[in-house]
Amino acid sequence: MPHILFFSRNRSTGVEHAEDGFVKAYCRLQDSLMDAFVEIKVLLPDLELKDVRGVVYRSDQGVPSDVNESLRKAIGIRIGPGLLKIMKGLVGDREDLNELLNMLDECCQGVILSFTKDTLAKAPEDREKAKEYYAWLVKENVRLYDSCIAFAPDSPLVDGMKPPKGNDE
Amino acid sequence: MLKFMRNKVVGIERKDEDTLQAYGMLEDDIYAVELEVSIGLSDMVIRSIQGRFKRWTTPECPKAIPVLQQAVGFCALEEGFSQKVQKKIGRKGCRHFANLLVECCATAEQAAGLIRGRKAERVVAGSKGPGGTMQKEAKKHLEKSFEETRAARSEDRGGVVIDLHVHTYPASACSVARVDDVVVEAKRIGLDGICLMDHNYVWDRARVDELKRRHDFLILRGNEITTDQGDMLVLGLETPIQGIIKLDELRTMVSGAGGFIIAAHPFRGFLLFGSGQLGLTPEKAMERPLFKQVDGIEVLNSKVTEKENRFASEVAKGRGLPGTGGSDAHQVSDIGLYATRFFSKITSERELIDALRGGRYEAVAFKKEKDVF
Repeated sequence: MPHILFFSRNRSTGVEHAEDGFVKAYCRLQDSLMDAFVEIKVLLPDLELKDVRGVVYRSDQGVPSDVNESLRKAIGIRIGPGLLKIMKGLVGDREDLNELLNMLDECCQGVILSFTKDTLAKAPEDREKAKEYYAWLVKENVRLYDSCIAFAPDSPLVDGMKPPKGNDE
Repeated sequence: MLKFMRNKVVGIERKDEDTLQAYGMLEDDIYAVELEVSIGLSDMVIRSIQGRFKRWTTPECPKAIPVLQQAVGFCALEEGFSQKVQKKIGRKGCRHFANLLVECCATAEQAAGLIRGRKAERVVAGSKGPGGTMQKEAKKHLEKSFEETRAARSEDRGGVVIDLHVHTYPASACSVARVDDVVVEAKRIGLDGICLMDHNYVWDRARVDELKRRHDFLILRGNEITTDQGDMLVLGLETPIQGIIKLDELRTMVSGAGGFIIAAHPFRGFLLFGSGQLGLTPEKAMERPLFKQVDGIEVLNSKVTEKENRFASEVAKGRGLPGTGGSDAHQVSDIGLYATRFFSKITSERELIDALRGGRYEAVAFKKEKDVF
């Protein structure tokens, strides 16, 4: 049986940090059923969504007439926890907009990862020093503890650390 | 110049009459991972997964590969599938694998829809009411502690300490703490009361009255509501809010009901960078419109960093808003990590709102102060 793909999808997300305090992110999705583009502009330091626009070039569900009107309902929210839930709540849980909201979320995740990258890039090459660096990151942020296998309670990166019991204010 | 880029590519092959094979690749500036997932066409159940890291960050990351097997048997059509993958594969393994697995399954679902010529219907999980029981042995052990802590509480008649931010299961799906166990723990550590702050959930007054009587303990009702400006702790609103509401609409409703709004963990940030890296200062943060709409700010919350709590405290002071403390407990051991000490007695929800308006209270690190863990 020839291994021919029945369905394929490409999703590409890019993030630019502009000089004027804005961060721009875009997501292009192309798959067997849909071709669409979403672009956002986010203002630092609040990571507030200042502009959102989208285009649907092709969709098996037809092209919604109110793409931009709907996506712009997300303007004003800040990138942070629970973002997709907030966006779906504001824009509406419509099937024809569902993928566009996922793309908007990808853009926002890209913005977060663009800053995350800077923190991770500071990890030392030396294994022992790297371990100290990651342990320091966990101490700085309780939410990192047990957030993935690298920071699980039995991981050497959190060796000797007690499970967080809140902060010692 | 691009600061960050992520590409995800998924291909779906129909292996046989009832099997879809998804080949996924995620490549970004930080990670590169690959997945091969076999999914049943008739039931959309994951039958097998193989994963591979091409690039990763910490030396521990490759240990996430065996964790992928936990997703075998998951149904991609199940309500909450994506959250389940994030929890079981993301939190226990790798978030990037979880992200790619969700993408592979979503793509497979689209392919399956094409094959079947119709969209698959999602299974809606039934809801359950709050409740729960405690094992006899544990109860016996804890009864002893109650007596000790009750005695300690009676010494301090000047006011009360209440954990203003408690989540219970199943009222909050993200919590694992049953309400009875929460109350038992709150009494054990010497709190005077708790406020149930389940997500978009209004507790039935009669049910809470029954709990109060049964446990002989102060249990108050609130509601954590998600708005376009973040999560809000709301007191005094009986109207159930479903979905997301705009903060200004919520303000109108709460004012009409004579209630009180506290901005919950307003500076809860990200895992690997802080607001400082973004250039956010308390002065700039004070300008956020949300602080004109709320009555108070949660300045001690156990799910955020010390820096984020300090930042919230500075903003509260700068805006002249009162600060409250609450554990944001999602498990029994979290109860009382933080709380609010009121300098007057509180016995009802109305008295709580009056006390919050009066401003005679402070946020406290209760467990640390009492040295009870």
